[in-house]
Amino acid sequence: MPPPSIIWALVVAFAALIVYLSSDFVLLLLLSATVAYLINPIVKIAESAMIKRRVAVAVIYLGIGVAFVITAYFVFPRLRAEVNTLSGNLPFFSQRFDEAVDALQNEIVANYPAADSLFTTREVRYEKLNNFIEQQVADLPALLSHLATIVLAGVLIPFFSYFFLRDSRRIVQFVLDRLPANHIETSVAVWCEIDRSVGRYLRGLAIEGIVVGTAAALGLAILGVNYPLLLGVVTGLANVVPYLGPIIGGATAILVTLVQFKSLSVIAQVVILYLSLKLLDLVAIQPLAVGKGNDLHPVLLIASVIVGEHALGIVGMIIAVPTITILQRIAKLLLERRRYPTHMLDSRPNSNVPVQSYVC
Amino acid sequence: MARWRWLEQVTDQEQLLRLKLLGTVPLFAGLSRRQLGKLLVKFFEKEYLPGETIFMEGEPGKALFIILAGRVSICRALNEGEELLATLTIGGYFGELALIDDQPRFASARAAETSRILILYRSDFEDLMEGQRTLAIQVMGNLLKTLAGYVRRAQSQRNGRNSMIVGQTPATDKPGMTSKSVSRD
Repeated sequence: MPPPSIIWALVVAFAALIVYLSSDFVLLLLLSATVAYLINPIVKIAESAMIKRRVAVAVIYLGIGVAFVITAYFVFPRLRAEVNTLSGNLPFFSQRFDEAVDALQNEIVANYPAADSLFTTREVRYEKLNNFIEQQVADLPALLSHLATIVLAGVLIPFFSYFFLRDSRRIVQFVLDRLPANHIETSVAVWCEIDRSVGRYLRGLAIEGIVVGTAAALGLAILGVNYPLLLGVVTGLANVVPYLGPIIGGATAILVTLVQFKSLSVIAQVVILYLSLKLLDLVAIQPLAVGKGNDLHPVLLIASVIVGEHALGIVGMIIAVPTITILQRIAKLLLERRRYPTHMLDSRPNSNVPVQSYVC
Repeated sequence: MARWRWLEQVTDQEQLLRLKLLGTVPLFAGLSRRQLGKLLVKFFEKEYLPGETIFMEGEPGKALFIILAGRVSICRALNEGEELLATLTIGGYFGELALIDDQPRFASARAAETSRILILYRSDFEDLMEGQRTLAIQVMGNLLKTLAGYVRRAQSQRNGRNSMIVGQTPATDKPGMTSKSVSRD
């Protein structure tokens, strides 16, 4: 039997090889683990009532399935209608967009004549827009192949996450039983920190996305903007991308408002709505949902997001914050011993001091 | 009758045994079954072979340990050799100061025989306390009682030492004691 260090090195090398060879599969596993993390608190509540884990997971999945069907029954028809209307209007989109930009330019120039020199001519703008649309159409086959992956992921993620949830305790136990005994306290500490940081971050992100998305849909509906439900979903989903997400959500809503109203005043209202949502998110939703889970320095946070974007694109941006939080916590735990001066670590009793019975 | 059989099917019997054991631990005295259940899901479990070190004296404390099965020795290094402070058995707990801070351990813990230990990490305990004020007050109260016991024992040892100076018998703990013979009050 080879020494444990060689076995662990082989396990790490094998894991690295899998990540290198199949990044899509790893992404799928990461997303499944995310879903499992989101559901895990409910499983733990059931476990604390002494219900078997596998029974709890099965019942929760059944409940989620029923909730999904009910939501689909009430919300999906409306969402589908919005998607159908939008796709029906797409052929006329470039023309309507062009008209809207023209109307907006005229409005701005009428109020501020000096701004006229800032705008390009209609022909140049039309050419740019057409080039953009042609490029998107050329990318459509690739997009459709992604669509197939998304559908497959929609089936596989609940499947994998079910087994993650059901067997997570057994997996942790398997690893714990094979860890060297004298390193167990630090290992458990590292695992708990990872679990706590990632769990809080992901659950916070999900709650944040749902609240921001719902508030955006309501606000847009009140302002009379088309496709409020669809825009709410886009805003909620985009919100998981740090920094860039709220901009993507806001820009989409502004684009739709521009085409629909061709008016600066309504666009200003939508901008105010999205700025208010961001403020609400920062002041109320994030502290409540994420709590103390993330105490990173803002510069480190932005740097990690930029590095994540360069390495893995949008996915990299999403996983950058939990990854850097985990690394920070692990480094803190592993370097903890350095915090104590040597005389504190050398705790052999002085013969003049009374021996205190097993306080440890 | 059928109702009970159904309940038996969905109940985790192993967890139930752990819950009963947790109910006997003085640190968790006074907690309701529901509170004990919430506490129990935070624990990890690990098997230690005879002689394996659970934690070393001088290491920063990060977790509380409860003995599920087996025996654990608590030792303290002396200038020459080692002093056995106590031997704990099923239901015994150690490392409780880690629930308060991460200062270095005052003693080492070693499995005296094959032992299964429940481990509660501080941050998990803090998480629980954030949402469960009643539980937090109860456990902290019990922990304070334990600490008060340590202080009293240290005081009596100091008194014993002083008495020894004037020729009286010392009142120190004897090596090889079990958890039942170690007073925590």
